[in-house]
Amino acid sequence: MKKLAVRNLRLCTKDCLCLYVCPTGATDTENSVIDPAKCVGCGVCAEACPSGAISLIPLEMPPQQPKTEEIKGLLRAFARRRTEEEAAARRIGRASEKEGLRKLMAAAAMSTRLVTEDVLREAGFMLPQCPEVREILEKLADEPPAPDFPEETLWRLLGKLPMPGGSGEKKEISYRCGVCGLVFPLTEGETPECPVCGAKGDKLLPLENA
Amino acid sequence: MKYICQVCGYVYDGGEEAPFDSLPESWKCPLCGAPKGEFKPQEAAPPAGTEGKAQLEGELGPFTAGQLAALCSSLGRGCEKQYKAEEAGFFRELAAWFTAAAPPAEEASAESLAESLRRDVADYPALRAAADAAGDRGAARICVWGEKVTRMLSSLLDRYLREGEAMLEGQEIWACSTCGFVWIGEAPPELCPVCKVPAWKFEKAEGGVKA
Ligand code: SF4
Ligand code: SF4
Repeated sequence: MKKLAVRNLRLCTKDCLCLYVCPTGATDTENSVIDPAKCVGCGVCAEACPSGAISLIPLEMPPQQPKTEEIKGLLRAFARRRTEEEAAARRIGRASEKEGLRKLMAAAAMSTRLVTEDVLREAGFMLPQCPEVREILEKLADEPPAPDFPEETLWRLLGKLPMPGGSGEKKEISYRCGVCGLVFPLTEGETPECPVCGAKGDKLLPLENA
Repeated sequence: MKYICQVCGYVYDGGEEAPFDSLPESWKCPLCGAPKGEFKPQEAAPPAGTEGKAQLEGELGPFTAGQLAALCSSLGRGCEKQYKAEEAGFFRELAAWFTAAAPPAEEASAESLAESLRRDVADYPALRAAADAAGDRGAARICVWGEKVTRMLSSLLDRYLREGEAMLEGQEIWACSTCGFVWIGEAPPELCPVCKVPAWKFEKAEGGVKA
């Protein structure tokens, strides 16, 4: 799998071993960011770096971990309540003249935001480049929520995010139901269940197809 | 008997000389600053998973502006971690727009916020039970961190409602930029008591609310 080297500037001690070992000169840049156009992902720099400052990031990430509908629903409901708390904290802080309360509400808004972010990551939105995120962004692009919505930013973001599965479509897999014999297609990532008799698990046989 | 801080896990063992009950009500956890009320006896059996069903109904409808704000800021962080600075910037810009667009909570008061936070704390065990039942350890993880962080915030706000501005006189408020743990003191703690990141990861809360 194709990878790219990246350098953590906080860990980098400028020992410069990476400058000697990189076969393409990708590590030698005026802004210390490894040049993605030159890096071939060989990993030699990461092995040489005495500070553990270089990581190799795969260009394609594996699909996200599957989540049950129940967990997704609960976490999203919880996230909504937490965002309402965040909005309340901002409003209370803005409306108050008391310095202590303003600070406490600022901390509360930040704290609830961070907790909500984590909840949403576990609700099936961990990876920025996953198809679930793309779907939400594309919907926003189709129906911008307000006239002053930064559509331009959204389009540029969509342009940068890779299309899921490279081709823009998830793979289709056919299954044969071992109970009623039905053959039915399913997009990759869905939990298979026979649409006629409801059979699940090892009752369903994935069919080899193109 | 040993007592355990429900926020950071600190174990209080005063032995015979200084049993937990003899501590003044104003005593606080030496590690994270949680009040005495956040401690539970170690021997106490963990509450059964059925303790109060979550007052939560699952929902999978469209996201609200507030949720989109948190989603975009989270994904911005996700891009930063992958050194995708440009994408991170785009996500942050969208997050800022949604934050501003999130409808202001109409009837918000410190009291109603405190009540909502208490409800969150009460709902965590049921969320955790659902995560365990689904074998979802990622969802279980956020219950562990989220519950501690929320307990701390909830107890601070409750205390503020009792003591008012005097509680914060001459103090700074810090929030851990990784997990959201809130700390009151002149300086941030050396290590976050919840997620263990170093002091520089703490941000000082300013008198104005950050966008
Ligand atoms: S080898 Fe590592 S520490 Fe040295 S300059 Fe390169 S990245 Fe920095
Ligand atoms: S992975 Fe190889 S090509 Fe890329 S920066 Fe490191 S040494 Fe150079």
